[in-house]
Amino acid sequence: MPVPPTATPPTTSPAGPSRIRRTLALAGAETRLYLRNRTAVVNSALLPLLLVAAVPLLGFGDGAVPVGPRLLVSAIGVMLVFLTYTNLLTTFVARREDLVLQRMRTGELTGAEVILGTATPTLLITVGQVLLVGAGVAVLGEWAMPVDVVLPLVALIGGGALMLLLAAASTAFTRTPESAQITALPLLLISTSLSGLFFPLSVLPDPLATAARFLPLTPAVELSQLGLAGLTWSGDAVGWAGAWTAAALPLAVLAGWLLVAGVLARRGFRWAPRR
Amino acid sequence: MTTVDDSPRPRPGPREAGPPAVEVTDLRRRYGDFEAVRGISFEVHPGEVFALLGVNGAGKTSALEVLEGLSPPDGGTVRILGADPGREHAAVRPHLGVLLQTSGLPGDLTVEETVATWARTLTRPRPVAEALAQVGMAGRADVRVRSLSGGERRRLDLALALLGRPRVLVLDEPTTGLDPESRRTVWSLVREMVRGGTAVVLTTHHLEEAEELADRIAILRAGRIELEGTPEEINATQPAGIRFSLPPAAPPLPPLPGVRVVAPAPRVELHTRDLQAALTALLGWAAAEGVQLAGLQARSASLEQAFLAVADGAAPATDRSVLESRSA
Repeated sequence: MPVPPTATPPTTSPAGPSRIRRTLALAGAETRLYLRNRTAVVNSALLPLLLVAAVPLLGFGDGAVPVGPRLLVSAIGVMLVFLTYTNLLTTFVARREDLVLQRMRTGELTGAEVILGTATPTLLITVGQVLLVGAGVAVLGEWAMPVDVVLPLVALIGGGALMLLLAAASTAFTRTPESAQITALPLLLISTSLSGLFFPLSVLPDPLATAARFLPLTPAVELSQLGLAGLTWSGDAVGWAGAWTAAALPLAVLAGWLLVAGVLARRGFRWAPRR
Repeated sequence: MTTVDDSPRPRPGPREAGPPAVEVTDLRRRYGDFEAVRGISFEVHPGEVFALLGVNGAGKTSALEVLEGLSPPDGGTVRILGADPGREHAAVRPHLGVLLQTSGLPGDLTVEETVATWARTLTRPRPVAEALAQVGMAGRADVRVRSLSGGERRRLDLALALLGRPRVLVLDEPTTGLDPESRRTVWSLVREMVRGGTAVVLTTHHLEEAEELADRIAILRAGRIELEGTPEEINATQPAGIRFSLPPAAPPLPPLPGVRVVAPAPRVELHTRDLQAALTALLGWAAAEGVQLAGLQARSASLEQAFLAVADGAAPATDRSVLESRSA
């Protein structure tokens, strides 16, 4: 059978920059943009310092148990929702409405690379702020050795990834950067208040407490609390082995949410404004 | 501006020998119930410029979005260098340069940072300085994108589209909003790419731009290609026109070969497909009768005429008589 002529196969070209190098190129430009926004830089440094300063000012931390670990748990939970999720949602929508996202897709960057590169400054700030709070409590002498370091790291990384995917999915019903302040509210209000950040979930009636453990932010809070403070969701103290046993459910819930959010993000993310 | 290439358009015509760089077959796009692109097909070969013309809403941008790999087709296929631009990202993108009709860039990066960032994502980028010089922006390297004029921003867009030395270039209204000098720069850049073997698909509202650059033109109306061919072929679908005024005392016009009278005396308009023969006969008659043809004008058919005939909803090129009667 004669072989029909085809265009010169594009595969003859030299290998281009790897996925990682492409993403880093965009991430570098985005980070530079962030650093040029003085207000944003000052804000993101000030917030964790205020959080730490509140400890002596409000008279916490005079008990026998150091408050450092619990403060750090709060920092992780609060940053993930109020900074990572909200910031990313606003950024994605702003970039979409400015027609930047569509432009970024016209080159060799893939969609996932564009999203990750655009999200990099926010992800770095999240980690930086948690580290600042950690350093702050250490300076105040409120530090205690964590029961386990892997669980809080999983909480931070997995939680950050989940917030990114949820933010990407939320762009589907967010028309402008300003309306992100409204569309972010469900996660902000419901999931944060029922995450165990502000009160232990065990004070709720059983069915509600169980339901709350399946909300998106709860696993991140549970896992960091298990690792940093050695406390289960109901407030029982546990050691290393007990922490990992208790971590099974939140790890599964986190994995489930990552999957669901991934599907929602893939379906709902829009690259260009509605015409 | 660096060098402006004023040499006449090299028109090598389609190089049918090789395989096409762009193949569009029965492409369709739908938004809900509205079908924006209704089965269009065309090919573009390396070293060839193909222009898609049409009024706003004719489906040009919707069609290009599929070529650019930004939207999936609702029917039909698109191949860029033999690969699907939507699904075979890694095979197509290193060879595809895209200039969107409108697109944004972060305002707080400088021109140079913007180009350098884009270059770091590409397989075979030009040097940044060369890319800036190409579009006459070397002197604006340290200016933030926010402070650029509309024309400068468009030239930066073009620099990014050309940065990866593409073999296929898709330009959606490349010179809209540009001053005449910048427009000529863009034209010479496109010609340079074409000489290097790049296949170009462009849309434009400037008909002289299509005549200047395109080897082949397709006129799109309501999602369909109504007319397609070289600029000469498209012009040939339209009759040439002759106009003049006759004095009241003049004798009646004799029958002229191949001429249709569109408007009678005193302000006469004639249509013909053989302008030279018609004029010879007309001027011979006028000389013999001693008639003064006031305000005599003779014009070959223009692309604009063909464009307007299609845009008005006249029938396709296959039915030339309809086009003729429409232009009456």
